[in-house]
Amino acid sequence: MKSIKSLILFLLIAIASTASAVSASDVYFESKWTLWKDADILIWTIDKDLPIDPREFCLSLKRNNMAIGEPKCRTVGEWERDSIAVRYAGWLSNNMEPGLTSNYLKARHPSMRGKIQELEDRIVLFIADKGNYLQVAIFDETSAEPRTAGTVQKKADKIALGDEIASTFFDRKTSRRLSKEERQKKLTEPDEYYKEVPNLRAWGGLSAGYAQAHVPLTPYNWVHRHVESEVRNYRITRDSVSLWNFIDDSTPLFTLYAGAIWYGFIGGEIFYRYSNHTVKTDNSDTVYQELDHWEFGQHEIGLNLMLTKTYSPIKLMDIHLFGFVGFQYSFYAEDIQLKKGVELGSKAYRARIKFEDVYKGALIGGGSQFVFKDHYGVSLRTGIASRGKNVYSDPTPDAAAEPTTIGAMTVDWFISLGLEYHWNP
Amino acid sequence: MGSFVKFLTMLIVSALLVTGCADSYQWSKSHPDYKQAPYVELAIAGVQDAFVLTRSAWFAKRLQVSTDSIQILGTQFCAQAMLKEMKGAYSKLMILPENALANAPEESQKLDERIFMKGKLPEQGVVVKDSAGNVPPRILLVHEVIVGTDLNRESFFDYSVMHNESPERTAAKNISAIVSYTLWDNEKQRPLFSAVDEIQRPVTIMTWEELDALVRQIVSEIRKNLYMGAK
Repeated sequence: MKSIKSLILFLLIAIASTASAVSASDVYFESKWTLWKDADILIWTIDKDLPIDPREFCLSLKRNNMAIGEPKCRTVGEWERDSIAVRYAGWLSNNMEPGLTSNYLKARHPSMRGKIQELEDRIVLFIADKGNYLQVAIFDETSAEPRTAGTVQKKADKIALGDEIASTFFDRKTSRRLSKEERQKKLTEPDEYYKEVPNLRAWGGLSAGYAQAHVPLTPYNWVHRHVESEVRNYRITRDSVSLWNFIDDSTPLFTLYAGAIWYGFIGGEIFYRYSNHTVKTDNSDTVYQELDHWEFGQHEIGLNLMLTKTYSPIKLMDIHLFGFVGFQYSFYAEDIQLKKGVELGSKAYRARIKFEDVYKGALIGGGSQFVFKDHYGVSLRTGIASRGKNVYSDPTPDAAAEPTTIGAMTVDWFISLGLEYHWNP
Repeated sequence: MGSFVKFLTMLIVSALLVTGCADSYQWSKSHPDYKQAPYVELAIAGVQDAFVLTRSAWFAKRLQVSTDSIQILGTQFCAQAMLKEMKGAYSKLMILPENALANAPEESQKLDERIFMKGKLPEQGVVVKDSAGNVPPRILLVHEVIVGTDLNRESFFDYSVMHNESPERTAAKNISAIVSYTLWDNEKQRPLFSAVDEIQRPVTIMTWEELDALVRQIVSEIRKNLYMGAK
């Protein structure tokens, strides 16, 4: 029971406090507008008496917003005498309601719109007396709609009322007004995002990443025969179409590369990639008891053709999206060691599997370079690389009788993150 | 994996929806304060000058009027029919004189990204009065009624297809009307409801009665939309 009472009391207090907050001042909508330092404020009303004193209002502004500098406030007599402006003011006061956005309060008459456009850095403060509250709207030269509108509670004390308006509608960051010359200069200045595309952009970089045989978003059963295969007796696997039948496919990958783009569109990249793959020996096979380790270093060099498109979302950063296709040569350097004390190794060891001297393959992929301050880049790239038979070997009449090339269909997916330095030579 | 596929499907479906809906338009616009459609009391303006007859030769031949006078006779007939129908619909109908909006500038109202409707609207802060000085609370401003055969409102109001030439059609399937209008709040001088409606009426033999029936169909369409537009 006691708790219910306290709950009711709490609710009453909450309602009373929100109600008083609403009645004190209420902002219907607010859009971005610039409050100038040393603002020139024109007070506009069609009521007989001005509820605030312009000079006192200036002091209120200074009290409430230290950054405003030396504002000037006066009534806008030329609008108060103009019949079109008077009609619009009456209409605005009639139509200003909570819930309506600024575009419902747009000035429609061409002459009224003209007047607003000619304000040139001055801010119009519209005030209409509605009995127990005041309607307030703010116009600037950028729009025929009020930038902000709302109400404040009416007070007999003009200074307190000025303070209320200043704290509700003018409590914002100020910007310095430009002089005539600066204005002129700004008009001819290029956009801050304006940038010429360099004829040539070059970069060098170093990246670390990861590669695996399974390409994401493809069925795993495309690769499971290769990935899950193991090597028995130094050479026997289920098949030999892919090198991943013999060596581990998921490894770290390191790349050293340099490239260049012409006219922000087409370019190339030369690279060297290295990764180390251990042989997947079948541990149940006793023949490996003599073996200390058996690995292959994968060395690849190649060339990519790139197409790029550049975006500049912020001034400090450029984003170069790119796609690439390329070719590469892969070399496998065997590193095998028998245990200490084993002199010769088994017969199977001596007749172990040999890979081709060189594989030729292709790459396809894409990525993005994020370049900060025109020089410092972070890049992300992903793609698919293959290694196949060396097509440059001469066909022989008995080609059909030759054994199939080991690892002629060695495909993997890679992803890497690189650090780059860019320059425009 | 499964969730990614789901996401991809959703993406494709939504892309299809977006492209599929690209050709549907919003043909009306309500003010947030339009709460109740006019019921008994309404003022009407602009009807006298609103009607335009396209394919006047086609109408002239079938209504057995000379080509020179069909425009005048036809539009007069339609305007009379519309006012009569409106009188039947609203018992306190006030018909504003032709010059009520004479000084108002022509403005466009945006109904949709590509649909702009043109018409005269009274100035902000100025109430419209009839010749006796009465102030009607709400006025139906009829901007334009285009009467013709097989008309599509897209080709008149979508600026991106407005200038496309339509194929010359000899056999008319429908007589049609495109009407643009605004329900005007005269007290607060704001548009409450603006719309462009299209009315199609299958025609076998063209008579004055058919034209009268078309106008009655226009009025019922306007009334229906005024009712639907209120929030």
